[in-house]
Amino acid sequence: MFVYEKQLQYPVKIKNTNPALAKLIITQYGGPDGELGASMRYLSQRFSMPLPELKATLTDIGTEELNHLEMIGAIVYQLTRNLSEAEIKKAGFDAYFVDHTTGIYPVSAAGVPYNAATFASKGDPITDLHESLAAEQKAIYALHRKHAQRFYKFQWMLMIRQVLHPPTSIWSINVLTVKLSNS
Amino acid sequence: MTERDMLLKKIGTCKFAIVDIDLFLDTHPGDTEMLKKRREYTEQLMPLIKQFEEKYGPLTKDENAANKWSWVKDPWPWDMEE
Repeated sequence: MFVYEKQLQYPVKIKNTNPALAKLIITQYGGPDGELGASMRYLSQRFSMPLPELKATLTDIGTEELNHLEMIGAIVYQLTRNLSEAEIKKAGFDAYFVDHTTGIYPVSAAGVPYNAATFASKGDPITDLHESLAAEQKAIYALHRKHAQRFYKFQWMLMIRQVLHPPTSIWSINVLTVKLSNS
Repeated sequence: MTERDMLLKKIGTCKFAIVDIDLFLDTHPGDTEMLKKRREYTEQLMPLIKQFEEKYGPLTKDENAANKWSWVKDPWPWDMEE
């Protein structure tokens, strides 16, 4: 069960539109290391977690990733407001625009629609937690890219989360390993 | 920054602290110090939410004091107030 709160986790107010940047940022929405995948990964993997701490952790992180997804959507939406045809063409935003206009659609920067093959859910907790850890690392990599640094404060906030989520996963792997070897 | 934005930011800051504490508590459910801290932040957050909702409308559907369903009212979180 989810309850919506009418507030972004971190405010997004972008004064100047920039469709060229939006074309890159959209990959954080629906790309291979984007927030949609992050959220679906945690929220899918949690079902087969064997300990209550793990069910709680994956539920809460997966929910937080939905916050991030919403923020990325808001960024792309605001970057592409009130565009003229010339601006769209000049920025190379026309390839996206021809299919989606300025609607928010989960694709990678190269235009590949969101694909669930970008994450795994194996039903084995150690395997799944490692896969989550790898995903957090890939997301950090994406946030380090140059285009990301234009949203310094905002990306810093997302980055903190990517640094914070792994310790909980590592804790989980350690606890699990101990529990499994005792049983 | 408008008064609305400032208040919303204060609320967001408290909520963010609580989200962080929650993640910690998920793996350390018996940590009484942290549970205390969570209560402190919640006590700080509640009056801020009340103040915001009285002035600018509901943040959750549960809060709807008016005779009108003010949940639908703009701005939504991704809107720019112009």
